[in-house]
Amino acid sequence: MAARTARAAHAGVGAAGRRLRKDGTLAWQAASVLAVMLAWEIAGRIPINYAFPPFLAVLRAFVEMVLDGSLVRAFLVTLVPLVLGVLFSTVVGVGAGVLMGLRRGVEWVAAPVFIVLQAAPVAAIIPLVTFVYGIGLAAKTVAVILLALPVIALNAYKAVRNVNPSLVAMCRSFLGTRRQTVQKVILPDASPVIFAGLRLGVGAGFVGVILAELLITPTGVGDLITYHRSVANYAEMYATILTIVVVSALCLNGLQRIEARLFRPERREGT
Amino acid sequence: MVHHAFTRRCLVAGAVCLALVAGRGDADAADTVRVAFGDIATVETLNFLTALERAREKGLDIETTFFKSEDIAAQAVVGGQADIGVGTPYALIQKVRAPIRMFFQMSTLQFYPVVDAAAYQDWKDLDGEEIAVHSRGSGTEAIMLLMAKRNGIEYGRVSYVPGSEVRAGALLQGNIKASIVDSANRRLLDEKAPGKFKTLEVTDVEATDEALYANTDFLEGNKEAVDTLMDALLATWRELNDDPKVVAEWREKYNLLPDLPEDLEGEILPYFEEAVEAGVFPDNGGSEEAARTDLEFYGLAGQLEGDPKGLKVEDFWTFDPLNRALKRLGQG
Repeated sequence: MAARTARAAHAGVGAAGRRLRKDGTLAWQAASVLAVMLAWEIAGRIPINYAFPPFLAVLRAFVEMVLDGSLVRAFLVTLVPLVLGVLFSTVVGVGAGVLMGLRRGVEWVAAPVFIVLQAAPVAAIIPLVTFVYGIGLAAKTVAVILLALPVIALNAYKAVRNVNPSLVAMCRSFLGTRRQTVQKVILPDASPVIFAGLRLGVGAGFVGVILAELLITPTGVGDLITYHRSVANYAEMYATILTIVVVSALCLNGLQRIEARLFRPERREGT
Repeated sequence: MVHHAFTRRCLVAGAVCLALVAGRGDADAADTVRVAFGDIATVETLNFLTALERAREKGLDIETTFFKSEDIAAQAVVGGQADIGVGTPYALIQKVRAPIRMFFQMSTLQFYPVVDAAAYQDWKDLDGEEIAVHSRGSGTEAIMLLMAKRNGIEYGRVSYVPGSEVRAGALLQGNIKASIVDSANRRLLDEKAPGKFKTLEVTDVEATDEALYANTDFLEGNKEAVDTLMDALLATWRELNDDPKVVAEWREKYNLLPDLPEDLEGEILPYFEEAVEAGVFPDNGGSEEAARTDLEFYGLAGQLEGDPKGLKVEDFWTFDPLNRALKRLGQG
């Protein structure tokens, strides 16, 4: 009985501590965001540059663009190549990565391609994509793939290659077949790193789609940025840029939470 | 102790060097006229490059920088990293009240609406149809909108395809059936597919394509340099209008665009002959009337806000340098 009470008390203290810690972190995060907003507002009011609007003007532009629907429409257009590119990169990247990890032959053929792609300055390559794929959706999807695919593939490859060897040995000692080793040991053990690669790939995909929309033809978010810059609506331009940064950050944060929930119980909040 | 003294001496020496370098930088900036282009140098900039060379001959130290787009060049001028910019920064002047003014009209817009002759014959046929222009708020879009207004039609969809050469390529491939291209690409279309495309007529559109602009402080504080440049510009423009063939001589004399490929070399004369005939290069560097036309045109393009009649020319242009030059050289 006494032991149970002590455990409950301990649990209570633990929960309170976590809440406090959580609240404290939140407060610090909020303070940091506020500090950036304040610095921005001051810099915009000085102004440090004629083309640098105060934060409140950007906020107002953001609200106006949400209300008139232009921001939402632009995001819907931008999401198409982004989603297509990321989906393709996920399927092909994970597939290729796992195969490269499992088979030396595939590794020799495919790994250099992905390594070169990852090292290449993609902003210089994207305009060349138009020579082959034109200026439409295909070219933009390819741009997303160029950035997302190498990250996803190389992470999957490393994940499979670095699977805990004692687990593989254990499976073998239990007379597991090759298929069972892959299905029951290698893939589950590699999943966290593969998923981390997916998260990085989505981040790279955001970079790719915006680069494509700025460098190929202006559509969606890229069009809003280009247009507002060309007619000197700087508040609207910053609002668009800030929104894509926030959306990308939220998206990556969401993926990180999913990752923690699925694969890393030790990092899951509240456990 | 010895270490401390040494470090201090190093710091002092470093600071002195920095001060010297910074001081030198300022002195340089005052003597050198920094010109910001909004694009790479092409055949079409040969006359301007010549004028710059001539100003150099008169002792003006000119430094040129080529930016990726006109608005980046404008930022360089507004931010003080360049003295004179090339472009039409109407929106920038109106919306952020940047203290810059245009002072020389270099050229008027010369674009050609081109349609696939199999699909369309005149403006009326474009009612409800898709067209492709350079970008939102661009001169090409404004010309197409202006002509639609005049012809009482409305386009179905306007798509944005930056680059005349890209639109010409898309026309040739049949991806688009109606667009607007520059003179070089109109000639290219005629060459590659004679008779396949028809150029629709554009009348009475005389907006500025490129102008020179600068900070008002620069124009006030460097009158001598500005005057030298203005003289070179006006003289070059007038010679060009007298005889477009002279551009080839200039190119040779000043060694301009030495790496130009041969096929582009052949473009020089046709471009300048056509442009001179169309009156692209004003003899007198622009006027208040031309600026007023601009206000209306760029209002339609979405670059300027508000009723064009309520806008004041002096908020965008200064004619002092031009008037001084015209007094010296006379009206052309």
